[in-house]
Amino acid sequence: MNMKRLREEERVDTNYAASGWNLVRREIFSFLKASCGSLVTREFLSVSIPLLALWEVIPRTGIVPSSLLPPPSYVAVIGWEMLSSQALLGHIAISLQRLFLGLLLAFALGFPMGVMMGWNQFVRKHALPLFQLLAPVPPPAWVPITIIVLGVGLPMQTFLIFLGAFYPILFNTYQGVKDTEPRYLASGRVFGASEWTLIRKVFIPHALGPVVMGVKIGIAMGLVMLIIAEMHGAHSGVGYVLIESKDYFRVDRMVVCMIVLGSTGWLLIEIMKYFEAKLAIWRMGR
Amino acid sequence: MIEARRISKFFSIVDENGIAAGLTAVLSVSLRIPSGRFVSLVGPTGCGKSTFLEILAGLQAPTEGEVYIDGKLVLEPLPGTRKEMEEYRKRYRFLSPITNSLIRNNPKHDIAMIFQDYAVFPWMTALKNVMFTLELRGVRRSDRKGLALRYLADVGLAGAESKYPSQMSGGMRQRLALARALSVEPKIILMDEPFAAVDAMTRERLQDDLLRLWEETGKTIVMVTHDIDEALYLSDDIVVFSPLPGTIRNQIAVDIPRPRSRDAVDMSDLKTRIRKIYEYDAYAETEYSI
Repeated sequence: MNMKRLREEERVDTNYAASGWNLVRREIFSFLKASCGSLVTREFLSVSIPLLALWEVIPRTGIVPSSLLPPPSYVAVIGWEMLSSQALLGHIAISLQRLFLGLLLAFALGFPMGVMMGWNQFVRKHALPLFQLLAPVPPPAWVPITIIVLGVGLPMQTFLIFLGAFYPILFNTYQGVKDTEPRYLASGRVFGASEWTLIRKVFIPHALGPVVMGVKIGIAMGLVMLIIAEMHGAHSGVGYVLIESKDYFRVDRMVVCMIVLGSTGWLLIEIMKYFEAKLAIWRMGR
Repeated sequence: MIEARRISKFFSIVDENGIAAGLTAVLSVSLRIPSGRFVSLVGPTGCGKSTFLEILAGLQAPTEGEVYIDGKLVLEPLPGTRKEMEEYRKRYRFLSPITNSLIRNNPKHDIAMIFQDYAVFPWMTALKNVMFTLELRGVRRSDRKGLALRYLADVGLAGAESKYPSQMSGGMRQRLALARALSVEPKIILMDEPFAAVDAMTRERLQDDLLRLWEETGKTIVMVTHDIDEALYLSDDIVVFSPLPGTIRNQIAVDIPRPRSRDAVDMSDLKTRIRKIYEYDAYAETEYSI
């Protein structure tokens, strides 16, 4: 018992001591374990393997024609072809660039605005009703007017992604900051903390959970808006490949695009979860 | 010296019939606490003594009256007339009166406060919690860590500096709150039922540690409690509050020589006296309310 604890302590020490490449390698490993870990458990494999098998068998037996439902083995081959011809990789890169630009803009505006509204009543009373009026407009409804005003191109796509991600980030940040425990604020104020110090050291750390939640919803909404933007106004990107495949009646290519989009969203959300766990060690209890 | 002059606090509340009603939490309390004293405010729960303490700390504006700490006004009272109210609203429309300032930290009147459920920041380690208050006090960055470790050691938390509050026991969290309060080197420490949430054994140890620190540093301590034994064991003066509206019912000097033992005979005499006041207030309540 004692020995075991001693060894654990040693391990903790070496953990803190790790640096450079060792650290990077360990972080990557623990990220993979946290993200892909749930995919390769025995429990989930017992669900996923039969599902894949079913998908493989149905078109092969001819119940559904394989032109409508291509089997996964065929999708994998087509996917590999699309990737190795470099064309798909280019489209993915362009889509990711648009997505990140939009998300960055949404965070850069939504987060500070949310903090300001949660922190101060004066700002809240002036700004909140405006956002509450604008937010219920479904983001896709902005597509026609955006295309007319901004034309087809990067500004229009970025703006649409921004619209999708802005409100979730804004409202979650606002709510998290507003719900800050008054006792923590009082204890900061008694010790003479200025409002700026309180924002940095109390409001924002306290609101971290809701903020990350908002970013996660923002990522999901941003992906939705990315595809809508690329379907309506783009000549590149995964959404464009998707809509183009429709014209050639290539269900296999569509499935590849859907898988790419799905895994992008999944990966981004896993990265957010990982950061959340890193930043919120204090929440992990005993 | 803390001087409270005729402090009153009214709240407007909505009763069960949905009708707005007034609640007097504190009624015309005047109190003078000389420097270096250990004063306890005792009274039944919900008698406005915590509200009074927050008014002393400047966390709530009194409806009437003023608090002076070493001759400095803590917070101006709320305006009485409608016209004054409009001016008051205008002046504080951007920042509420209890805020300090927008950018600069300024410790006010050298007060520290310990809250009932500690209110140490759960997102900071013990060390960071103390370093935070040191930063507010204006200690240079390079000196903060060493100083913080010293304050943690003073309250018996040496070795726990990298723990988060969620990894600590209630007693340890209370010690951390104490270390944080001591680290601003205040002249006055206000405590709101500091030992209510820990078990009896831990409470006695914390009380002894608090006494030791008080005797070493000579700070003024104002403690709110509903535990008469605790008040008798620790304090120089006991201020007994009546049930709502909270007024000072009696002020009793505890002139038992220190170090005291927890079961001294003269202590039990005083205890019976305070008990009698409590009981009288409970049964003859109507005669005291206005």
